[in-house]
Amino acid sequence: MNTSRVSVRLSVIRSREAGTAAGLLLLCLALWIASPFFATLDNLRNVAEQSALIGIIAIGMTFVILIGGIDLSVGSLVALTGVVLALALHNNVPVPLAIGVGVAAGVAGGVVNGVLVTAGRLPPFIATLGMMSVARGAALLLSDGRPVSGFSDTFRGMATGRLAGIPLPVVAMLALYAIAHVVLTRTVLGRYTYAIGGNEEASALSGIAVGRYKIIAYALSGASAACCATLLVARLNSAQPIAGIGYELDAIAAVVIGGTSLLGGSGSVMGTLIGALIMSVLRNGLNLLGVTSYVQQIAIGVVIVTAVLVDLALHRRAQRHPVS
Amino acid sequence: MSPFFTRGLPTRRVAIAVLTMTALLACNRGGDAEGKPVVALVMKTLNNQFFIDMEAGARSVADSLGLELIVQAPEREIDVEKQMQIVENLLQRKIRVLALVPSGSKEIVPAVLKANAAQVPVITVDTRVDAATLKAANGTVATFIGSDNVDGGRIAGAFIAELLKGKGTVAVLEGIPGHETGDARLRGFRESMQANSGLSIVASQTANWERDQAFNVMQNMLQAHADIGAVFACNDVMALGAVEAIAAAGRTASIRVVGFDAQDDARKAVTEQRMAGTIAQNPREMGRLAMLTAARLLKGEAVAAEQPVPIALIK
Repeated sequence: MNTSRVSVRLSVIRSREAGTAAGLLLLCLALWIASPFFATLDNLRNVAEQSALIGIIAIGMTFVILIGGIDLSVGSLVALTGVVLALALHNNVPVPLAIGVGVAAGVAGGVVNGVLVTAGRLPPFIATLGMMSVARGAALLLSDGRPVSGFSDTFRGMATGRLAGIPLPVVAMLALYAIAHVVLTRTVLGRYTYAIGGNEEASALSGIAVGRYKIIAYALSGASAACCATLLVARLNSAQPIAGIGYELDAIAAVVIGGTSLLGGSGSVMGTLIGALIMSVLRNGLNLLGVTSYVQQIAIGVVIVTAVLVDLALHRRAQRHPVS
Repeated sequence: MSPFFTRGLPTRRVAIAVLTMTALLACNRGGDAEGKPVVALVMKTLNNQFFIDMEAGARSVADSLGLELIVQAPEREIDVEKQMQIVENLLQRKIRVLALVPSGSKEIVPAVLKANAAQVPVITVDTRVDAATLKAANGTVATFIGSDNVDGGRIAGAFIAELLKGKGTVAVLEGIPGHETGDARLRGFRESMQANSGLSIVASQTANWERDQAFNVMQNMLQAHADIGAVFACNDVMALGAVEAIAAAGRTASIRVVGFDAQDDARKAVTEQRMAGTIAQNPREMGRLAMLTAARLLKGEAVAAEQPVPIALIK
């Protein structure tokens, strides 16, 4: 990023990312001291792999939250697109095409969300809550309530394969983050996404086609859910109609920990990546330390709330001292 | 770290990080320091009495067997992916034996393969790993400890046939569709219904394992069918919801309810004759047997591939 062009807002974002990254580093440091099993190559590879699923959904979620919305349907869309993909594979559709069909289903679900929010003027919470139920039902209906299992080694290789020692899901996640980062920081789509989330009315008055960009954001969210579903189905060698329950909340948590404001207009996709990593590192560490799952839930809740508290504190500080 | 601090990082964030660090360090109690072999029990959830009993059974013998026991479970009972993460993480922690209650019979196979690759023997408890999928993937499981849910369903069916004297209509409350445990109970139950030509299932709906949903579903079934003679619920939680709905409709005298799991509340309902019966598994025994088996595997002793834990009808 060229510092001479950094606006006040971007400098705040940057300091937020730095803060979140510092949090991640401190967490890793603490785990490195606490457990002899944490800082091994195998384990770190594991953590990265485990963050890929939520990490990928959180990309689309970042767009939706940046533009001032929320998407509760992604968990159900993971199940639906997973089932669609699995059925396509079982009907001998070639792997790339089957993945395309799954992504298309995700985009379709996202577009419906977007249209309900824009043309239908529904609050995003309600529109996507409806989709959450519809997509879950559709997944159960399509699969007859049963998991669709058993795929070719080629397809499963997407979850088990490695590129230069890095698991493919991690490669996919990093590539998608790189693309999303460029889109948000260097393109009109990104600029308008921030603008609409920051002030929808002003954006509309200045001639931005607000509705179109909102629909795009929800479509991207649906597409992210489908990408996640692809990796999930490959990982479990099975598409479950009951998969993905609660993923929407994990994705929202990753976005929020990453410093994106739920009010829209401020945040970054790189922050989200760090947020997703914090959640995985935390879960991994608590597993390694043998902490019971009751305590794990408390710890994750505390981290989410703490992250937002810190974020708000930073925000107020930034308002007091506009050029930090 | 200095670049971060020069930007004026709030002291609060630093304080929080230090607190987190202290908390994590405080968590690191004992473990391998004592040199005891670490054995993991990974279950479906910790918020269900069945698994709490299983944990208690395992804990009751772990110490005297000289095992360091770690018990973990995903937050949601059906979250196989999270269960797989837990297994991956525990393998990093160098556990010596893995006792596993699979959240998904087929889906957990990749996790079993990872344990195989790490040469950690796998004991499956309560729920089986799908045999065909495991075989196709060249995976191995040391033993299965548990009861047969299909058999439990059959016993419930035979009991209802006996209650109705071989003639009448039956309603069924199913578990979450696609969930192996519920499906197996249902299969066994349907088998024994088909064996009795005088019995027919007039309604079969899911109440997703939940009490309040079972109440509503049962209410709807009662509206639709005036002649229901018995209800089979795939778990006690739903059976108890059905009991309430039947009582609210004033039909307690004419409808017999049979549940599954023999939870305390259900046993009480059976004693008070609000329920006709429930099928008892013995999770405490499963947990205990899992630890005994782990100890034997660690000594290199052979274990039987199947270790059945008996099912009983409580009536």
